[in-house]
Amino acid sequence: MFSEPYMQRAFLAAILLGPLCGLLGVFVTARRMAFFSDTVAHSSLAGVALGLALGFRDPTWVMVGVSLMVALLILWLRERTDLLSDTIMALLMSTFMAAGLIGYSLLRGFRGELDRYLFGDIFSIGPEEVVLAFILAMIVFGLLFVWLSPLTLLTVHPDLAHVAGLPVRKLNLVFVVLLTLVVAMSIRLLGIILVTSLVVIPPATARNLARNLRQESILSLAAGLLGGVGGLILSFQFNLPGGPTIVVTSSALFAISLVGRRWRQRPPQPTRSWI
Amino acid sequence: MPDIHFHPGGLALEVRGLRVSLGSTQVLRGVDFHVPRGQVVALIGPNGCGKTTLLRCLLGLQKPESGEVRVFGRHITSEVLRRVGYVPQRLTLDRSFILSVREFLCLKLRETRHWFWQSRRQTDGLLQSALPDFELAPLLDRPVAALSGGQLQRVLIAYSLLGNPELLLLDEPTAGVDTPGENSFYELITQIHQRHRLTVVLVSHDLSMVYRHAARVYALNGVICCEGTPEEVMNADSLRQAYGIHVTPYHHEHGPGHHHVLPQRPQP
Repeated sequence: MFSEPYMQRAFLAAILLGPLCGLLGVFVTARRMAFFSDTVAHSSLAGVALGLALGFRDPTWVMVGVSLMVALLILWLRERTDLLSDTIMALLMSTFMAAGLIGYSLLRGFRGELDRYLFGDIFSIGPEEVVLAFILAMIVFGLLFVWLSPLTLLTVHPDLAHVAGLPVRKLNLVFVVLLTLVVAMSIRLLGIILVTSLVVIPPATARNLARNLRQESILSLAAGLLGGVGGLILSFQFNLPGGPTIVVTSSALFAISLVGRRWRQRPPQPTRSWI
Repeated sequence: MPDIHFHPGGLALEVRGLRVSLGSTQVLRGVDFHVPRGQVVALIGPNGCGKTTLLRCLLGLQKPESGEVRVFGRHITSEVLRRVGYVPQRLTLDRSFILSVREFLCLKLRETRHWFWQSRRQTDGLLQSALPDFELAPLLDRPVAALSGGQLQRVLIAYSLLGNPELLLLDEPTAGVDTPGENSFYELITQIHQRHRLTVVLVSHDLSMVYRHAARVYALNGVICCEGTPEEVMNADSLRQAYGIHVTPYHHEHGPGHHHVLPQRPQP
């Protein structure tokens, strides 16, 4: 299984990006930013179309650039208008996705490329992308561990972070940029449609089993790694598509964690009225 | 404006001519007041009178159109904020974010900032020696999001005290706390005030707490419409200015010094 270079590269990408998304996801979900990640991912379709139209053989860089632009546009509109974040994100997501689809319809003969970005193609990852994923993983892991306390405080209460002397706006901006880069990079693994699952499912799995943030971070990182590598092995063994198999494997881990939760004592939770 | 030299300890807080508009509404219309060091004071006013906006100005979160805020005689910078403890009304924390009380408290102490890599024994020892009289041990393993109103209040105060503040700002401290919880909260504030000689500012719409716990009261309604000792402020005239309705303080029977104030709707 590991003798083929394309398999080695796919495994390396899963080993790097699975745990990275898992750890980052702990804060993404706690800060209710799952939809943000979805918006950035879907909008990147416009970047791919633009890159191909400009004649790039590999439009990854243009895609990353457009994703970053959309992320910053969300922040800008949130500060400048009274619109709710949800509205802003839904608006940008549909606009950029529609622009991407129009772009594709004008370009002839790129149907394969469209599928590759929509659904991901982990087995086509090139050596440069593995190097990029490695550099990004080192930077994000490094920053996450250095900024674990500031980021945690920001999640608990932005005003407390301000009083503690933290540069709240800058921290927010750095977090958004890092999340966008990681999501854009992971699109090659799972595709635009499924990529958000990488930052949502592992933290959800970890939350079922953890009693504190340290356990949650470690378990989410482990769930990201297991889901990525396990899914890749299953997809190779049974000749299934890579991205979807990774997602289904992660969801299976989540289901197992739900069973584990039943045996764990939890403090009584307030009931939700809408259930 | 009273002379600064009447307060040998100096002023903890000075607010002069503070004006703030939110959208087209002028929320603060020239707020002037000062708080001497070492006192427990209350800033009261009805909902929508600008309490939250004023609090945000005191913390440097809201820039005023005009006027100034000085904390310990200095403009607000991150240096000055280090001497301020802020206790918010509630946290923005998602219920599913499993941050334990131990981890939350560790965020405040320089020595425990790397809690992720430190052992529980190490961090507990440091927290215990920083706050020897706080009975925190039973709460340390609980997730912050699962605490009751009273427990969260206690943890938030402990968190602020870990920074050794000289000024403590509490936003609606008794909202969401039941009566026994309220009593133990005020006992805690008295204890802290006596032990650490802090200046405490209680921001609240709850008039009944003022009699028992504040040395000085400021009533806010866009401007400071009256200030003084609780007895001075609680006369119906000045309170009517703040609340815009008829208010009758009455003294009732469950214990000395326990007063309640009943706001009444104006009669047509």
